[in-house]
Amino acid sequence: MTAPQMTDATEIIRPQAPLLQLTGITKVLKGQEEPRTILSGVDLTVHAGQSVAILGRSGSGKSTLLSLIGLFDRADSGEYLLNGNDITRVAERRAAALRSAEFGFVFQRFFLLKHLTAAQNVAMALVNGQGWSARRKRRQQVMEALEQVGIAHLAKSKPTRLSGGEQQRVAIARALVRKPRIILADEPTGALDTETGNLVVEVLLNTTRQGCGLVLVTHDHDHARKMGRVLELRDGRFN
Amino acid sequence: MFSGKFRSAVVIGGQGIRARKLRTFLSMVSLFLGVLAIVTVQAGSEIAERAMLTDVELQFGKDGTLTGYIPGEKGATGIVESTLRGRDDAVAMISSRAVIGEPGVRPINDGGMPFKYAGQGRGDYGPRVFCDENGCEEVKAEEKKPDGQAIDVSLVALTGDIRPFKPFRPVSGSWLDFTSAPSLAPRIVLNEEAAFGLNTYKVPGEMMITGASHHVTPQIVGVVADGDSSPRVYMRLDELRTWMPTTVEPTRAQRFQGGGTSLEVFLKPGSDELVRLLQAKLVGAGISQDQLHFNTIDHKERMESQLKIMRLIFLGMAFLVLLIGVAGILNVGLATVGERVEEFALRRAVGMSRMLLAGIVLAETLLTGLLTAAIAIGAGAAGLQVGLMLFGSRFPSLEGTTFPWEAGVAGVIAGLVAGVLGGLIPAVRAARIPIATVMRA
Repeated sequence: MTAPQMTDATEIIRPQAPLLQLTGITKVLKGQEEPRTILSGVDLTVHAGQSVAILGRSGSGKSTLLSLIGLFDRADSGEYLLNGNDITRVAERRAAALRSAEFGFVFQRFFLLKHLTAAQNVAMALVNGQGWSARRKRRQQVMEALEQVGIAHLAKSKPTRLSGGEQQRVAIARALVRKPRIILADEPTGALDTETGNLVVEVLLNTTRQGCGLVLVTHDHDHARKMGRVLELRDGRFN
Repeated sequence: MFSGKFRSAVVIGGQGIRARKLRTFLSMVSLFLGVLAIVTVQAGSEIAERAMLTDVELQFGKDGTLTGYIPGEKGATGIVESTLRGRDDAVAMISSRAVIGEPGVRPINDGGMPFKYAGQGRGDYGPRVFCDENGCEEVKAEEKKPDGQAIDVSLVALTGDIRPFKPFRPVSGSWLDFTSAPSLAPRIVLNEEAAFGLNTYKVPGEMMITGASHHVTPQIVGVVADGDSSPRVYMRLDELRTWMPTTVEPTRAQRFQGGGTSLEVFLKPGSDELVRLLQAKLVGAGISQDQLHFNTIDHKERMESQLKIMRLIFLGMAFLVLLIGVAGILNVGLATVGERVEEFALRRAVGMSRMLLAGIVLAETLLTGLLTAAIAIGAGAAGLQVGLMLFGSRFPSLEGTTFPWEAGVAGVIAGLVAGVLGGLIPAVRAARIPIATVMRA
């Protein structure tokens, strides 16, 4: 991928191909009851360095959209291009490799393993079977990621000794450690107070200044306004 | 890349075990008895097999060999000797008794018993009576001799090299040379027990052979392991004939006492023609056909077969015990997967494949199985040493026994099998956990 050129803190000259491009994405939930259309012909384009906030009421399909972007699930119809490559029907093994190489995930709950230190939790994204690097190199990558979110000094702390904001920053470091092109954040401030939430959003926005794409699902309009674009999902479509 | 996947599975599996030490310990406890049972059965059967089969060929002969027992009467020994002379496809063994040491004394191991029993069973139990189809007669007690420096041995005279039929293991020196001219001083080869007797007791180098015309001065040329616990010496029959031109036929009383001459013939497989020739000659000399028994040796095969059946029975029982341990691991594994749903979903979210996730769960149970196997093997080896220290003296065949490596391998396999069986279902369940579990969990 061509590295985006920075002109100032917020404006970026974007390369031709978008990072991801969804066209006419439809997802229908087929449960025991009547099939329910969650997404209906959604289009979304995200470029490198761009941040996008997705707002919407509960059940509007925000998380479903995020899980389709992150290749947790597959769309029923539509087209999904990642770096210009069609991955709409990508096989599970390839999807796992793409999740590892292209995406960083931040969730509402931090999902840190209690028996591991902050550094080991971050290293989890490196020890995932997608290649192998030596312990020293892993340590270096982990420390860089922790420094990026400002908590390198907490590397040896267990999650139970960290505050909510610190835990979420460890989770963000875990998302950043493989230097992904896109960060997918699902309500990352949902479990945090306003001040800590703002701090976490700042950390996420910082990643876009380094060329990362960011898709933030949130209920918080204040946080959404800090993003480059704000989209609202209603009845499975963007307004 | 396999190595990356493998290393990741081992690293994460190790983390999982460390995070749940008590649970891992309890899994190991449930598995320990099963693996120990497998190790014990395998070790026991290997030790039994070694103890029973190691010397079976030395004692009875190689499987497939034709063997015949011929009564040493009516000139049978002469007939056999002349028929087999110069042949390399058949050998006759003519057994007798001899005493090496001081003449006219009671040997240290009177009766040719192993030296560790020397001096035992010398009580006076009154007159002995021998009965057969011709009636009964009292066996005259031998004139009581003074104790002296002599050892009592079985003397085995050979018409040729017996080793193609009984593969004696050389211990020292050389075996009998059947190609050279006979020597007046008979060359003898000792078995280990006879060598032990001569080494332990300082006896004169004079040999009194039952039925021989003179005492002889033997030349000891070597020592072999023949699988016999009683002292024996082997010599060439033609050298024996210098001092004992004809075999003295045993009296009824001698036969009762186990004395006299016994005759055994070993023939290579497919020597049926020679068997018929011997039978014809012996029947012609007046020996009843019923007294001539020729068989094909299959001792080793039969013992192996019996041991195999016993081993299978005990291994089957041990496997049932192992299955109980597997059920324990399975139970713990399923509970653990239930608790780790979010962790597994998260690992998949950060790029781990389903296969590797299953591999991690399997790696944890396999590591648990291997750890248990290591402990069970250690316990088995230690138990064997303790057992040998406490009871080894009662079972001479167990002397020098070491923990068989086959039991170690069986333990490792049992641990791995238990790990796979106990971890497979949890692994499949872990792999099926949807990643979306981490979305708004």
